[in-house]
Amino acid sequence: MTDLSAEIIALSDEYVLGLLTPTEAALVEEIMARDIELAQRVGDLRDRLLPLDLSAAPVDLPEGFGVQVAEQLANKDQLPKMQFAGVPTEKPANQPAAPKPWLAGMLAASLAGIAVGFGVAWMQPAPAPKVVAVLMDAQGVPQAVVDDYGNDTATVRFVADVPVPADRSLQVWTLPSADMGPTSLGVLTGAGAAQLSFDDLPDPSAEQLYEVTLEPLGGSPTGRPTGPIIGKGFAAEQT
Amino acid sequence: MQNLTVALALPRQAFPFIPTGLPITVWEFREESILAKDTDADARSTLLSRALADCAAGNQAGVDAILESEGRQLLGVAQRILARRDLAEEALQDAMLQVWRKAKQFNASSGSARGWIYAILRNRCLNILRGDKRLSTLAPADLATLQESRQQIVPEEGWEILAGPSRIRDCLGGLDSQSRHAILLAHVAGYSHAEISTRQDVPLGTIKSLIRRGLQALKECLS
Repeated sequence: MTDLSAEIIALSDEYVLGLLTPTEAALVEEIMARDIELAQRVGDLRDRLLPLDLSAAPVDLPEGFGVQVAEQLANKDQLPKMQFAGVPTEKPANQPAAPKPWLAGMLAASLAGIAVGFGVAWMQPAPAPKVVAVLMDAQGVPQAVVDDYGNDTATVRFVADVPVPADRSLQVWTLPSADMGPTSLGVLTGAGAAQLSFDDLPDPSAEQLYEVTLEPLGGSPTGRPTGPIIGKGFAAEQT
Repeated sequence: MQNLTVALALPRQAFPFIPTGLPITVWEFREESILAKDTDADARSTLLSRALADCAAGNQAGVDAILESEGRQLLGVAQRILARRDLAEEALQDAMLQVWRKAKQFNASSGSARGWIYAILRNRCLNILRGDKRLSTLAPADLATLQESRQQIVPEEGWEILAGPSRIRDCLGGLDSQSRHAILLAHVAGYSHAEISTRQDVPLGTIKSLIRRGLQALKECLS
C-alpha cells in the first residue's frame, strides 16, 4: 500500500467535489486504479456527500427514455473497446509524439504541487524539480511521471500498472537535443519509483522529451530506444 | 423531525431560486428521505449493486433497474446543475452509457453503488458545462438564462435544504459560511474554482485553500 501524500489526498477530495481539470482527474483515477486506499477514501467522501445530491427535486423521466437509452447502448456498444491502460503499445520508439503532447504539458504543469513527497521518503527534504514530464501511452493515459532536478538526477514514478515480463527491463530516456539524440537516464527492472542518476547531461529545459520503453533485460543493446514505448511526454518547467 | 420543521418553516422568500412557474417537489423529497431508513437503504444498495453486476455481465436489465430506482432523482440532479431539461436528459443518457461501459470497474469495497452512479452523472454534467463544446451550441440568450439560473442554485441563506436531514448538514453547519458556500457551489451547482472565485470575489488561490481547509474540517466532523 502506498503512503499517500497529503497532496494526493487533498486532490482526491477536490476530485469528489468536481473541482479538478480533466487531466488532474485522469491522474487521480489512475492512482485510484492501483491504490485501494485512495479509492476507498474517494468512495467514502462520495457516500458522505450523497445527501447533497438527494436534495435535488426529482424530475420525471420523459416517456420512452429507457427505450432510448437501450437503443443507444445497442448502437454504441459496437464501438471498439478502449485499450487497457497498462498494455504497452506496439509503436516503435522513433515514432512521432503521443497524440496530445499539450495534454502532458498541461498535466505536468498542474502537477507542480504533487511533485514532492509522493510517498517517496528518501526524497526528504524534497528539493524542487526543474521540470516535470508526465509520460502517457498512445491513448493519452498517464503511465509515469519524471521529475528532473538537473545536476544529473531525476526520479521516475509510475502511475499505472505497467507489466514487465521477466526477460525485459524498462528504460528511461530523454532527448536533450537533436544533436545528442535519445540518451538513457537509467534501466529499471520493474515499474516502481526510482531515483535516476546519470552523467554529464545538460540541465533539462521546457518541452524536452522524456520516454520509457520496454527493452531487453539490462537495457537497450544499441544505446538507443529499440522497444515499444510505455509512455512519453514533454517536460513542463517548474517555477 | 426537528430538521423537517426547520426546513418547512423557512419562508418562501428564502428560496428566490425556485422559479415560480415550476412545481416544487421539495415536500416529496422530505417525505422520501425520512422514510428512507436503514432497511430501505440496504435494499436499495443491494438492488443497485446487482444492477451494476448485470451491466458488467452485458445484461441491459441492469440499466433498466437503475433507471427504475434512481432515474427521477438522477434527472433531478442533472436538471439542478444544468438548469435545462434538454441538457439534463442528455447528461443522464450519456451517464447511463458510461455506467454500462464502466460497470466492470465498480468495486464495492470502495464505496456504494449509488455514490458511484451519481458521481458518473455529476462528471458528465460537469463535462457539459466545462469540457466539451456543448454550451456553445446554445443561443446567446439561452446561455445567459442558463448562467442566471445557475447563480440561484446555492442560496446564501437557507442552504440547509440542500443537505437534507443528514449528518452532513450538521457538519456543514460547523464550517465558516464562506467555506461552506464554496463547497456547496462546487458540489451542488458544479462550479469550478474560477467560478467560485468570481462569485465570491476572492482570489483564486485563496478560494483553493479555503475549500481545502473546509473539506478537511468537514471530513474530520463526518468521520
